[in-house]
Amino acid sequence: MTTVATKPSATQLEAREAPPERTRVLVVDDHPAIRAGLRELLADGADFHVVAAVSTAESGLAVAERDPVDVAVADYQLGGRTGLWLSRKLKRLPQPPAVLIYSAYADGLLAAAAVVAEADAIVSKGRLGADLCEAIRSVASGRRQLPLLPPRLGESVRCRLDPEQQAIFGLLLAGIAPAEAAATLGLSRPRLEAQLWEMLRRLEGPPG
Amino acid sequence: MTTLTERAAALAAADGHDRRRPEAPGRRRYVPLLHRVAGINAALVVVAVTVTILVLAPGKVSALALDEEVAVVLGAVALVVLANLYLLRRIVGPLQALTRFARAVDLDRLRDRMPGAQPTSEAGELALTFNEMLSRLESERRASTARVLRAQEDERLRIAQELHDQVGQDLTAVLLGLSRVASQAPDELRGDVGSVQDAVRGSLEEVRRIALELRPEALDDLGLANSLAVLAERFSHQLGLEVDFTIAPDLPSLPGETELVTYRVAQEALTNVARHSASTRATLRLERGDGSLILTVRDYGLGMPRDTVAGAGIRGMRERAALVGARLELGNALSGSGCEVRLEVPLFEERG
Repeated sequence: MTTVATKPSATQLEAREAPPERTRVLVVDDHPAIRAGLRELLADGADFHVVAAVSTAESGLAVAERDPVDVAVADYQLGGRTGLWLSRKLKRLPQPPAVLIYSAYADGLLAAAAVVAEADAIVSKGRLGADLCEAIRSVASGRRQLPLLPPRLGESVRCRLDPEQQAIFGLLLAGIAPAEAAATLGLSRPRLEAQLWEMLRRLEGPPG
Repeated sequence: MTTLTERAAALAAADGHDRRRPEAPGRRRYVPLLHRVAGINAALVVVAVTVTILVLAPGKVSALALDEEVAVVLGAVALVVLANLYLLRRIVGPLQALTRFARAVDLDRLRDRMPGAQPTSEAGELALTFNEMLSRLESERRASTARVLRAQEDERLRIAQELHDQVGQDLTAVLLGLSRVASQAPDELRGDVGSVQDAVRGSLEEVRRIALELRPEALDDLGLANSLAVLAERFSHQLGLEVDFTIAPDLPSLPGETELVTYRVAQEALTNVARHSASTRATLRLERGDGSLILTVRDYGLGMPRDTVAGAGIRGMRERAALVGARLELGNALSGSGCEVRLEVPLFEERG
């Protein structure tokens, strides 16, 4: 990270100019109209600063690696790697941002996958802009707001996972951090990471 | 889309009886082969006997024949003719049986074959060839139905993606824009902007519902059991139909086509429950049968009227079931009120 600090980029300069109390937001959506809409909506709110609005998960990760953000607002479907892939990656950064999945399909299944990807909130694209702003403020202050898994769906999702993965899923669902979950289950960190990727693969819908 | 659906419907009509060729009693306008050959043979025998008598015993002709002699000759002729008739019947009989069988073949279920087809006679050879033709017809039918259904699924997927990627996203962008307008609008316009926002949200909801209905999400990834669970959850959530589902654990994995058919039948059956049954509760079961997988969807509503005409939905279910060799039964539940749809999918292909 020291290398990053010695190479200030345009976006970093932009971030420095922003007053520190503003929430730095990264927008990731493959639809240009939505990127523009979010940028304008958040620009109106005095407490937000949009660091960048990009179209792919990879470029979103690149921005966040260069320049720490507070909240990433990402669509689930990004035409390639998903918003949940991005969430997993962002959560392993030295200063992990809060992740809000802004998706058209905010159903229970996505919520299950979001638990595994450690996303903090899911907001349906059918919600009003004001609700989205409220949700961004909420996750920025450290609160999570994932939709509850319907019990029967949770059961069915668990059937998809092997016993060790089920145990991990149960702990994550109970709000226990991955590091703590690994310690509880006696798993090595690499083993847990591998299992989390595998779980995400099993729970996610086909990308794109 | 419509033409595809129509073609698929034409390929497999709902009612099997429609597709059988009617028995036409007055249709036969020829003397049957058996009678012709037997008649010719009988005539030959009579001529041969007469000529033999004339050549061998010309003296007797002028004299009055004795009654016994006449009886013996007539008896012998009759015996020969009857024996001939019997032998001919054994040859022609299988041909007639084949004709009857060919008329009765059910074009919806091309599974029956002419029994006893052995290459030991011309008739047997013909029956064998006929069976081979049925097999070719069956595989061709399957292939074309599969093509039609595949094309239909691809089209649905394309429309769903278009709805989601284009219309849905545009509406979301409109909604974001409206949020800005609402925050800057003068007070007297707030109410109007609010109702426009509501209308856009309604449309967005509708677009999403249609897209989800068109596309069995995550079937490839999550498998049949989980997709059915998601489907049931969605019916509960969106349409207020409480779907009680029981999915047996450790079900064998099915070919993709079969999973898709099972999913579509469940979807159509639940849609019918939500639309027509006036029931607020349904059960969905997926379990293992004897060498098969059984999907049952039932409701507790009005039941089907006796004279229900199969609509496009039911026809679609039948077409799909036939495609994977599954059996679809639907009717009123045996116990209690409501309807039941039962799909029995064979786990192993019987042929081919």
